Parts: sequence; structure tokens; C-alpha cells
Amino acid sequence: MSLFDMMNISASALSAERQRAEITSANMANAETTHTDQGGPYVRKEVVFSANNASPFRTVINRLGRNQPVAGSVRLTEVVDDQTPAVQRYEPGNPDADKNGYVAYPAINPVSEMVDLMGAVRSYQLNASAVSAAKQMIQESLDILKSS
Amino acid sequence: MSTFSSIDSLQGFLKVVSDREQLVTSNMANVDTPGYQTKDINFQSALRNAMSDGTGAHLSPAVQEVSGLPARPDGNNVNIDRESMMLSQTQLQYQMGVQLVKSQLHTLYTAIKEE
Repeated sequence: MSLFDMMNISASALSAERQRAEITSANMANAETTHTDQGGPYVRKEVVFSANNASPFRTVINRLGRNQPVAGSVRLTEVVDDQTPAVQRYEPGNPDADKNGYVAYPAINPVSEMVDLMGAVRSYQLNASAVSAAKQMIQESLDILKSS
Repeated sequence: MSTFSSIDSLQGFLKVVSDREQLVTSNMANVDTPGYQTKDINFQSALRNAMSDGTGAHLSPAVQEVSGLPARPDGNNVNIDRESMMLSQTQLQYQMGVQLVKSQLHTLYTAIKEE
């Protein structure tokens, strides 16, 4: 544990929240995408967060060996596909329509994506303020060195 | 002699406060992690460990999960208001410790100085 570990923890959260915002933006951008390389409509993506070495025992052990990632940091473990079935809309003129005239659109609700994006931004701000708090503490420690 | 012992005590205080700040930071980092439980340092026992220059006392884990916080449906019980408050609080405590160290060193410097 050191002062710089604090910044590393916050940096892990900033990175995770930024990736979450990226995925959410991709979902919003592709809300109407009916055609992908894999065929079929765009599939909504979701992120999975998990805590690194979160148990208190591991926290104590981590102080002994310095090789492991910082205890208490967060990481994005995987990006999973949303299993919600695609929305079918009747558009016979659309080139992606099936033989019955229905087009499969991704099941994306722009409102819930907006809310998710706002949550990611707020969490990013929270952790950015934690970074500035850590910076201020390090600065204060350096002030001890200055001749009084 | 007394000057150095009080600086040592302040060093222990600063260590405990920065450990606590790190836990607050990791609580903030895991604000969106499902199932994460808020952690805090047992300030009293941690400070006692840090103050006593005891051997082996540092092996007792001072980190514990905070009880009594309402959990969200995903099992996460991080309260942003609590963490923000703790962040400012520990920051001010750290600032106080640093100012005390500086004033102790200033006292020492005054004693050393010729005139």
C-alpha cells in the first residue's frame, strides 16, 4: 500500500468506466444497424466488471509480495452479448427484409443506453475527483521536504 | 528525543490515514461492480498497531467490511455520499498530520539554528 497505489486504483476505475462508455456509445450508434459482417442485425453489448483481489485476506497477503495487481482495483473482465431477440419490423422495401417482408432491428432502447452512459460519466467524475485527492496528498507529503 | 518520538507517532498516523484513503478509493473504483461490499479500516486497532512498535502486530488484518449499509439489487452496497465524505475527511486528517510533522521539524530547526 502506498500513496501511488491509490492513483493506480482510481486509474483502473477510470479505464473501466471509459470502456463502458465506449460500449454504450457503440450500442447507441448501432441502434438501427440491420446489417453486420456476421450477418443479421447488430447485437447489443454489455460490460462485466469485477473487483481485483477484493477479499481482506488477499489484501494482507498482497502487502508481502508486490507482484500482484493492486488490491481493490476494478477491471472489465468481459463484454457479453445481450440475448434479447431482435425486434421485427414490417418493411418490405428494405434490402435486409426476409421473405415475409420483416426486417430484424437490434433490441436497443436509446433511453436505457443514455441512462447507462450518464451512469458511466458520473462514475468517471467520481474517480477523477479521487485522483485529484490522491494528488493533493502526495503534494502535501512533498511539502514536508520544503524548508519551513 | 521527544521531538523524534512524536514524529514517529505522526508517521504511524499518516500511514493509517493513507491506508484508509486507499480503501475509500477502491470503494469508489468498485461503485459499479456487482456484489462488491464496502470496506473500511478498523481505525482504532490500526492506529494502535501503528503507534506501538510491536513486532508481528501488523499481521492482523485491520480491513473489515462495513455493516449496516443498504445493498442495491446487484448486491453492491457502496454509498457514494459516504465515500465522498470519507475522502474529504481522510484528506483533511492527512493534511493535519503533515502540518504537525512540519511544525515539529520547524521546532527542531529553530533549536538547531544559531540565533
